[in-house]
Amino acid sequence: MNSSWIQYGIYFLGIVLLQGLVINHIGIGPYAYPMIYTMLLIVLPFEINIIFLLGIALLLGVSVDMLSDTFGLHTSSSIFIAYVRPALLNALKPRDGYDDNQMPTVHDMGFAWYAAYAGIFIVLHHTWFFVLEIFRFDMVGLILLKIIVSSLLSFVILMGLQFLLYKSSR
Amino acid sequence: MRNLLSFLKRFRNFLIFIVLQIFILSLFFNSKNYHKASFVNSTNAISGWIIQKRYNITKHFNLSEVNEQLAQENAELKSKLPFSFYTLENNVFSVNDTLFEQQYQYISATVLNYTNHMHNNYATIDKGTLAGIEKDMGVIVNNGIVGFVIDVSDHYAIIRTVLSERINLIVEVNGIMGQLDWRGTDKEFCHIKGLTASADIKKGDKVFTKGSSGHFPKGILVGVVADIEVENGSATLTVPVKLSTNFSALSHVYVVVNIFKQEQKELEGAHYE
Repeated sequence: MNSSWIQYGIYFLGIVLLQGLVINHIGIGPYAYPMIYTMLLIVLPFEINIIFLLGIALLLGVSVDMLSDTFGLHTSSSIFIAYVRPALLNALKPRDGYDDNQMPTVHDMGFAWYAAYAGIFIVLHHTWFFVLEIFRFDMVGLILLKIIVSSLLSFVILMGLQFLLYKSSR
Repeated sequence: MRNLLSFLKRFRNFLIFIVLQIFILSLFFNSKNYHKASFVNSTNAISGWIIQKRYNITKHFNLSEVNEQLAQENAELKSKLPFSFYTLENNVFSVNDTLFEQQYQYISATVLNYTNHMHNNYATIDKGTLAGIEKDMGVIVNNGIVGFVIDVSDHYAIIRTVLSERINLIVEVNGIMGQLDWRGTDKEFCHIKGLTASADIKKGDKVFTKGSSGHFPKGILVGVVADIEVENGSATLTVPVKLSTNFSALSHVYVVVNIFKQEQKELEGAHYE
């Protein structure tokens, strides 16, 4: 347990810096803004205490906000998604529940389950983010386009990171 | 009382969530107001340090482009120096000029960090209050405008670029005033709203700053009229303007210090409010 939290801390630093210093500056057109730091909330254990989860989300959001001049937008989105996460996991629960030694990764849970989980997670997060960022009714089309393009991109990058960073625990 | 306690216990998570969201979102929406910025930004010491380190690595990437820009600017300035003029009258440059008084000064700064693909775009520069930069100053580059300073710390400042909503910059085309507005997607174009349809504007006309609010001197180039869109049944024109500032390669900028700003503000404040 302990060593997995150390590993998590390293991933946290690495991914926040990757997001703030590299991804923010790629600039692939006005619609694509991948937010890969969502991975850090996706891969937390199933049975994590929600207060602790909100705390991690707050820390994560503030760190990303400080590097990208978004004045709290990332914090708001990650707190939102952290609050929704237990309900989402509950909705996606297999018939016999989650095993104690399983983690929500692609290796432990299988591709189909992980794709559904990460997909919904990312779309919810990105929707909250872009709706708040633009916050205008006359720009619904732009908001939708941003959500779709950015979610797809985030999803692909996160899938790659899964295979890169996590190995099967069995 | 017991009911209240059990209610609080049941909705504890939700209450924590709501309180956090209200706190964060009030910071965020305050930052949309033109003059305010929250504490969650890159002027603080830690992220300033990290961004500086990143800049030290990436600053060499577009060096040739930056060099060319600076050389061009040098050439332009050189052509304005006394030795470039043919002297018509020998003592013309020794006259102590009392007709003009300096109103604007410029502080040069380097852009450490900027975005151009968000809905509101910001840039961080490497000078702050210690270099004399204050909130609300205008920022320009050699061939265009960049935006306004919205927040400063000792060593860093954040600029809200014209690629932001509600930037409310007054510009001038052929002597006609209009308001510059960004539509959120294209980093090369802004639009001038609210011009009357009879306005005498052609494709290719140059757009300059008006200078009325004191952020920028009058007559700084903003861009070139790219097209004329007449809306059906409407008495107004919308004019897309191709910005002269290259927002995909911001490097050296000048912060405009208006020496008369305080005077203008005090005078206006005494009568407008």
